[in-house]
Amino acid sequence: MKFYARRIAFYVVTLWATISLNFLLPRLLPGDPADILLAKMQRAGGELSETTVRNIKTLLGGDTSSMWDQYVAYWGRMLQGDLGVSITKYPAPVTDLIAAALPWTVILVGLATVISFVLGVGIGAWVGWRRGTWVDHLVPFTTVLQSIPYFWLALVLVAIFSVALGWFPIFGGYDVWAFPEGPEWSWAFIGSAVYHGFLPALTIVLSSVGGWLLGMRNMMVSTVSEDYIVTAEAKGLKPVRILRTYATRNAAIPSIAGFGISLGFVVAGSIVMEQVFTYPGIGKLMIQSVQNSDYALMQGVFLVITIAVLAANFIMDIVYGFIDPRARHNV
Amino acid sequence: MIRNAKRRAALIAVAGAAILGLGLSGCATGGGNDSGDSEGRTLRVWAGSQTPIEANFNPFSPSVLHAALGPIYEPLFFYNKTADDAPAPMLGESFEYNEDGTVITVTLKDGVKWNDGEDFTAEDAAFTFNYEPNHRDGLISAEATDDTTVVLTYETPQFTNEFQILGTTWMLPEHIWSEVDDYTTFTDEEPVGTGPYVVDKVTDASYTVVANENFRDEGVPAIKKVQYIGIDANQSAQDLLTAGELDWTGMFVPNPDSVTSNGVISMLNTPQDPTVLYTCSNAELGCTGPQTDVAVRQALNVAIDRGTIKEKAFVGLTGDISPTFALLPRDQKWVADPANEVSPQSPDATAAGEILEAAGYTKGGDGFYGKDGAPIELSLISVDGWTDYNDAAKLISEQAAEAGIKVNASTVQWQEFSDARQTGQYQLIMGGVIGTSVADPFQIYKDWFAGESTSEVGQEVPAGRWNFSRYDNAVVNEAVAAAAATNDEAVKQEAYATLQTEIVRDLPYIPLVINATQTFFNTKDFTGWPTEDDLYAFPPAWGSVAAGYVLQHLEPVK
Amino acid sequence: MSERLEVTDTSTDYESVPETLSDRTIDPAIIAPGAMMSPPVDSDVQAARDEAGAARRGFRQLLPRMSLKLALGLTIVIGITLFGILGPLFCQDPTDSDNPALSPPSAEHWLGTTKLGYDVLAQLAWGTRGSLMVGIVAGLIALILSIVFGILAGYKGGWWDEILSLFTNIMLVIPGLPLVMVIATYIPGRSWMLVALVLGITGWAGSAVVLRAQARSLRSRDYVAASRVAGEKTARIIRVEILPNLLPLLAAQFLFAIIFAILGEAGLSYLGLGPTGSITWGTMLNDAQTGQALGTGAWWWFVPPGLMIALLGAGLSLINFSIDEIINPKLRLAPENARRVRQAKRAGRGVESVHVTNGGEA
Repeated sequence: MKFYARRIAFYVVTLWATISLNFLLPRLLPGDPADILLAKMQRAGGELSETTVRNIKTLLGGDTSSMWDQYVAYWGRMLQGDLGVSITKYPAPVTDLIAAALPWTVILVGLATVISFVLGVGIGAWVGWRRGTWVDHLVPFTTVLQSIPYFWLALVLVAIFSVALGWFPIFGGYDVWAFPEGPEWSWAFIGSAVYHGFLPALTIVLSSVGGWLLGMRNMMVSTVSEDYIVTAEAKGLKPVRILRTYATRNAAIPSIAGFGISLGFVVAGSIVMEQVFTYPGIGKLMIQSVQNSDYALMQGVFLVITIAVLAANFIMDIVYGFIDPRARHNV
Repeated sequence: MIRNAKRRAALIAVAGAAILGLGLSGCATGGGNDSGDSEGRTLRVWAGSQTPIEANFNPFSPSVLHAALGPIYEPLFFYNKTADDAPAPMLGESFEYNEDGTVITVTLKDGVKWNDGEDFTAEDAAFTFNYEPNHRDGLISAEATDDTTVVLTYETPQFTNEFQILGTTWMLPEHIWSEVDDYTTFTDEEPVGTGPYVVDKVTDASYTVVANENFRDEGVPAIKKVQYIGIDANQSAQDLLTAGELDWTGMFVPNPDSVTSNGVISMLNTPQDPTVLYTCSNAELGCTGPQTDVAVRQALNVAIDRGTIKEKAFVGLTGDISPTFALLPRDQKWVADPANEVSPQSPDATAAGEILEAAGYTKGGDGFYGKDGAPIELSLISVDGWTDYNDAAKLISEQAAEAGIKVNASTVQWQEFSDARQTGQYQLIMGGVIGTSVADPFQIYKDWFAGESTSEVGQEVPAGRWNFSRYDNAVVNEAVAAAAATNDEAVKQEAYATLQTEIVRDLPYIPLVINATQTFFNTKDFTGWPTEDDLYAFPPAWGSVAAGYVLQHLEPVK
Repeated sequence: MSERLEVTDTSTDYESVPETLSDRTIDPAIIAPGAMMSPPVDSDVQAARDEAGAARRGFRQLLPRMSLKLALGLTIVIGITLFGILGPLFCQDPTDSDNPALSPPSAEHWLGTTKLGYDVLAQLAWGTRGSLMVGIVAGLIALILSIVFGILAGYKGGWWDEILSLFTNIMLVIPGLPLVMVIATYIPGRSWMLVALVLGITGWAGSAVVLRAQARSLRSRDYVAASRVAGEKTARIIRVEILPNLLPLLAAQFLFAIIFAILGEAGLSYLGLGPTGSITWGTMLNDAQTGQALGTGAWWWFVPPGLMIALLGAGLSLINFSIDEIINPKLRLAPENARRVRQAKRAGRGVESVHVTNGGEA
């Protein structure tokens, strides 16, 4: 019980810290949003009349109250669920933008990460079991895979499979031509969404599976040398049973414990990947907001990403405490 | 063990196959190009929107969607940016000035309706000009004298503001906008306009407009449905064009042949906006640095290799610039001296050297010119991410070095660039000049060269003006004032001649190239596009009024 | 003596060394493979005797044994480093635009040219130098920070541990790239040092967690307790007793930090937030991307930097492998033993033909 209490307490403190950090960081950014917007419009090829310039400056004047006041106001609005209004998509509220984008990222990145984890741990277990054979020599190749930059892989995949071969769509979360009315609950739509999500998911899986595979393989090799495995073999248990019931479960523990750390890297990689694929998720919102100094949107997205990672870690901690009694008792 | 791994592999394969099957079934229904056979093919456009798309058709909002400006809302007249044409009637039939240009009388077309069925009258026009965000300084009154006549009275002559007043003021329906509380937050999701299209549906990824049944011209528009999509990476748009899935866009593609070779897409390049080096040129207003000496600017001007810059930094797609800032051939008649038609395209390091030596500079041992022991060293900044500019800056640095002038090129964030040019705290900046929308360089002369458009170093330039160079020349100021007060071509030409002599000599902005504007459009399935021979409108999809005008001319290929 | 049931898979391990899961340090008792607990087979005895004779003592026991993986890894890493150091001396000027633009690989330009006419090979050489510098500096910063937050926290325990751990966990959970993006946007003129600094101070949390776990377990060792009782200062204990034992682990973490720093810099550069004025693999990729390399089919511009990153990462990972084998000898011994058992079985000296006279089963 104490274990869980400690973990919960830690997460609450972390949440407070990250929200405060989230508040602080964007305010350290230089930038007059009005100027940036005007330049964007000019660069995009428009003539800017005096009235346009005037209107925008009225719209986007800066916030001049003190830092502490802003902080208190920020907490107040946060607790009411108001994350402000986006400047780049004025006057759309930030919560709306995030709510529309979040499902895409959660589904794609979540699914891809789970697939990657399962694949990595599974294949790693098999490779570890097969230590000393030719399979061991394949391991170095996974290290190459693990070190490839996400966006580079994404761009190459698009260039080969979407443009050159035409097997997969070029961009988007779903076929925008076939569904001009937007997302709908039909099999055709879900099929289109899956089809469009394939390459992005492939990018995530290819780039992250190596890490889990290697970790699992190493743990597997260690575990198989343990006494209890030897005993089980001596007692004549079938190898399949040993692998499944004893070895893999114990060897997977550090992978589960390290899931949280790895998740951070997956999130990072998927941010850039969404930009490449114009995938309508949170990562793309993040990039846009940073590049446009859209304070409110940036804060909102940062917060949501952090909370999501925190939640994933929390769940993993609970799971870890559940499956490994030593962790519970060795607080 | 083997069984386990095999079973696992089998499971994964089955799952993968199921997903793929589902996906392919989805793609089978969704991948088709045709939607709505009875109405003809939808025109697919990318005008520059990024996802997520938010419904906002308010013409005063900075995040207004492109379809609102032109296809839905219209101004009174259409001005062709690419040619020296008289303005074409849109909602207005004709107009005339009074003697001194302070009163404009506009006769409107008869029988025009808003897309909700109400009549468009002079009352709406008068309301529009009086409406707060449109209200120009100096407007005395806007009155509807009868159903089809509106009279605009100003304090000063408005000859040179003709385009702003008659060409960009979006006509608003009084019955809708008089009820709007706050025009800054109004999202106008069901805009009532006079244009050929009305809004159908807006989603995160795209929005669709359909033909306006109340449009004034019969049979227009011929294309019943237009879908604008949001894309975040230029590469994706290029890929879509190549794959034949996009019908109209205006964007920079370094190798347009790879796109046009698919036999579906054609390209038109209409260079429009000058790219220059802003120089902080006026020491009297507080500028510091070697570039305040006109000899240095002139030397740099001839040392630059514009041909190489065009080829390498701009992939050969730019136009050749004139130091008079008249856009040729459109503004041909305003160029006083044919010698000033084009800036030198190849470098002349010796000439640069001669100019500097005549001004008292001597070449140091390291090959760089200097005066009194201090070498000429200039800093050149450009916005990080604007790669064509960054590349050009690097090339200029190399070319200047060959002529003996040290130029240090670096990139900065956008904010720093903006602050630097607004306050004049810079030496050289690579930036753009806003091209004029009419066949007359006046706007450039007034906003970029006139003394009234600038301020001291340390202060921002006046709102809506762009004289970053701090240039303040009495001769030029007089010429600008003279040209503003008259509609007489001969008088204007005289004024321009004087003006051009000054700016070509003083070079407060060192001209580089005319930046390309590439438009890609589907000529296989649609016809009626502007062509090189018949450039009736500025072609890109984001061209605002011109875009709406083009849409009125398009038809599907039978 | 009962007959041993035939097992379908002969991957049993005879030389298992007793170790608990959490204890992965390298006490000297473990390295020398003389500590076997199971009755050996004839050939095994001989092999063990040979190994015992050749067992390394002292510092050399910390060095990894040469194996194919290690050799491969070292070759790659040393090769790339040499390329970074010597390459720029032999290549053309990477910012010389006097060449034809976007030309494919040829005799004059082995990797072709970029959109501005820069020689890609020269850019790659300078880029190697730039990326390595960013990686090493960032790696060092991350290492030092993780030592402070990890080892100090793990060794001291108590309040120190609580506070440092809290901070570590917070830094761990906050997503790295968004944080770096926001910080990098704040700094207008980014030198490569600054980028390395930013990457270093956001990338130490993972290592700190691992080091902390190790330090905690070491804390309870006899020799550490002895030092404490003898009255030695904390700093000295950490320096003399703990750090040397963790050296392989530190080396592994350092190499990981380098590759993640290089990947991070590539990501930043791609977003336009990388070092200004330097050439790195990341800036090359950014230039290639904005110069529409893929769109124009200029694969020779876009592919090499990405490949170099992947290669360096692979090389470093392989070296980490070998270091892992020092830390956890089972990783080295187990595959070898499994192989040996298989070979023995093939040669007819497998399990079922062994008569174990001691009465115990292996």
